[in-house]
Amino acid sequence: MRLQLNIDFSFNSFFNKKSLQKLPLAVAGLALIASFNTVNASQSDLGPSITIQETSGEKCVLPSEEMRRQHPDLLKHDRIKTLREGVRAKADGGVLDGSLKQCVNCHAVKDDNNKYVRIDNDQHFCVSCHQYAAVSIDCFQCHRDIPEGSGDFHALSNHKEVNYNAVVPGTYSLTVQDMANIAPEVHSDDN
Amino acid sequence: MKKLHFLEVEGNTKGFYTFLGLFGLISVIGMLAAYYMEHNGHWVTGMSNQIIWGTPHVFAIFLIVAASGALNVASISSVFAKTAYKPLARLSGMLALALLSGGLVVLLLDLGRPDRLIVAMTKFNFVSIFTWNIFLYTGFMGIVGIYLWTMMDRPYNNLTKKAGMAAFIWRLVLTTGTGSIFGFLIAREAYDSALLAPMFIIMSFSFGLAFFLLVLMGSYKYTDRELGDYIVNRLKNLLGVFVAAVFYFVIVYHIANLYSADHRGITTFILADGGIYTFLFWVVQIVLGSLLPLGLLYGPTGNNRTMIGLASVLVIIGGMAQLYVIIIGGQAYPMHLFPGMEVSSSFYDGVVASYSPSLPEVLLGLGGFGVTLLLVTVAVAALKFLPASLADAVADPHSK
Amino acid sequence: MTINIENEKQQDTTEIESSRRNFIFGSVAAAGLSVAPGVMLYQTANARSLSEKASSKVRWGMLVDTSKQVDWNKCVEACNKEHGLNNETHSRDDQKTQYIRVVDVTNKGTGYSMSLPVMCQHCEQAPCVDVCPTGASMTRPDGIVLVDRHRCIGCRYCMMACPYKARSFVHEVLSDQTENTPRGKGCVESCNMCVNRVDNGQDPACVEASDGAIVFGDLNDPNSAISTLLKEHGGKQIRADLKLNPGVHYQGI
Repeated sequence: MRLQLNIDFSFNSFFNKKSLQKLPLAVAGLALIASFNTVNASQSDLGPSITIQETSGEKCVLPSEEMRRQHPDLLKHDRIKTLREGVRAKADGGVLDGSLKQCVNCHAVKDDNNKYVRIDNDQHFCVSCHQYAAVSIDCFQCHRDIPEGSGDFHALSNHKEVNYNAVVPGTYSLTVQDMANIAPEVHSDDN
Repeated sequence: MKKLHFLEVEGNTKGFYTFLGLFGLISVIGMLAAYYMEHNGHWVTGMSNQIIWGTPHVFAIFLIVAASGALNVASISSVFAKTAYKPLARLSGMLALALLSGGLVVLLLDLGRPDRLIVAMTKFNFVSIFTWNIFLYTGFMGIVGIYLWTMMDRPYNNLTKKAGMAAFIWRLVLTTGTGSIFGFLIAREAYDSALLAPMFIIMSFSFGLAFFLLVLMGSYKYTDRELGDYIVNRLKNLLGVFVAAVFYFVIVYHIANLYSADHRGITTFILADGGIYTFLFWVVQIVLGSLLPLGLLYGPTGNNRTMIGLASVLVIIGGMAQLYVIIIGGQAYPMHLFPGMEVSSSFYDGVVASYSPSLPEVLLGLGGFGVTLLLVTVAVAALKFLPASLADAVADPHSK
Repeated sequence: MTINIENEKQQDTTEIESSRRNFIFGSVAAAGLSVAPGVMLYQTANARSLSEKASSKVRWGMLVDTSKQVDWNKCVEACNKEHGLNNETHSRDDQKTQYIRVVDVTNKGTGYSMSLPVMCQHCEQAPCVDVCPTGASMTRPDGIVLVDRHRCIGCRYCMMACPYKARSFVHEVLSDQTENTPRGKGCVESCNMCVNRVDNGQDPACVEASDGAIVFGDLNDPNSAISTLLKEHGGKQIRADLKLNPGVHYQGI
């Protein structure tokens, strides 16, 4: 299910203090575009629109409005707590892991062929918004951009169950086929 | 002695634009090489997990070391009150800044994540010598900047001596810091020596002065300004002393290492069985970079400008070879996980690591020289760094 | 799973004799269990709640028994699999990442030779941590040496400083990382003692694959299996002369 958001949302979302500091030009540009669109919101061809894949059912760490504003700070806070201090507490009191891994697992987007889209695809959850806001992120230069394990939005179906007792030397090298086994539903714009 | 008169180089000339274009081109090629390396990752270079620091570091460290040495002339003038060097003090300070900028550009562009420069400027680990160096480099820029200002702004001339003293002390600390980057690496035989820091200081004297001489002679030649023998001969004699001093330190360094059983392996590697490193050491560093320049500077050709220029070029080439041997040769020689044992592994334990510099690395390094010379070219045209004449009548305090 | 309960009891008792008995019993059980696939041996000394910070009361370490006839390549295999290593497509062999490697050592004089796995030794006085300009190379309070890739600028000074050649630099753009080990171009990386597994109460991958030849545990706990073994039989650290006090100990070297 796709949620078509008109430009009013983005106006609110990006017109906060933090973004202003970082992106005065982009925001000024957005404001200009927004002013066009609010005149007649039905004319969606008047400016760029944003398509965000809605994640069904479960609730996020914070309500959507707050997540949109605060997710960079939350992620930064958690990465320090987790990596440097070893705190791996659940983010919302027990259900959600406060990690980027969890973000990816819930928000991964599938394309029309039911395959996860990668970070180089405009439909990727993070990309869709960040491209619109002209804010580049380098999280996925290191972090995995789609869930591990097949078709499952939850993190429990992967490495944690791998058993190394019976590993056979020389059998493992990470080929394209191997990766397909780890994440069979892979689609990339690359090819 | 006639009154000293400083004058900008005329900017609107064909010669000026030629140099500007040439150095600009070298700089741009260096930047493109860096972009290529960063875009692809370091796999396009000769560097590896064994040779961790490669050609860019040789260039960068050469430039940074030379930067501190280029300040020498100014220090002799301000701190040691030798009036003969006073006309050259401004160029000396400016050249120091230009060399440091060129070196830092190369060092930063070789980082795995140069985009995170802001991290290096905001998150500090004060135990790290690298962190000290970040402050030493920025501090050097500031102090030498102030020093130049006191020299060039007449009402503040009375502060020159103090600023010069501060800059002199700072540059000694800076080169000690640069030498210590290697000196504190306990794990590697080649670097585990207290002699490295003082050796880097004397190397800086030599490399910096050689570069200074070339820039001085070049700029006076191409601007048709008069440069008398008095000043050139003083400088070339000084260069000879520094080259000899570096030579002396190299001998002491290797003999001391030969006496210590711990370090005998790396020393025999460099001196005898190191292949390219042995060649670079004996042929380029010792013969071409030390003995030949000494002969040229003190021999019958000692007053010939071309030969002085050639000697300076040789000192620079020898210096690059010396740093190549120290930096890359020191890494090529295997570390001993189990001293006395023979080791082998999939990670190249126990074998001499191979390294061949790739084109982008060399171009990036040369780009550092390009940036330095570009800055010098712009600076001498923008501000009054060079005396209008350094003829003996002007430069020699004893001339009438 | 019985071994868990047994070992937890062992933590409660302070009497050394009984804990040693328990340990011997436990190790026999462990040998039996490790043969059976699919059985997870949980590290029991870790009673930390994951909402607490890692504590300096704990110091994680490993004890490698090189006299055991084990194919150490199994450890390499497990490590590569756990961390998704060996996925470079452009890098030369000398540019590829290795967290753990098998080193063959031969005494030229006597002809005696042996093999042992070498990974990050998780030094107490880690040179890599000292030299890192940004503090990206860090020691967690519980003794695990890590690279914070959010801060790493790729200067490689830590690689120059490490006496064990334990670190690798990522020489190319990577994709398809495993989700527990983010890694990417331009950063330095090394064995992280499978910190995500350890936090979840599991042994590091190489330990699990080692058929009991590597023991993982808390060096600060005198009753832990690793401390008991070290006390009974002793252990050596590689390049102990450098006085870095590595957390990885060896027997039989």
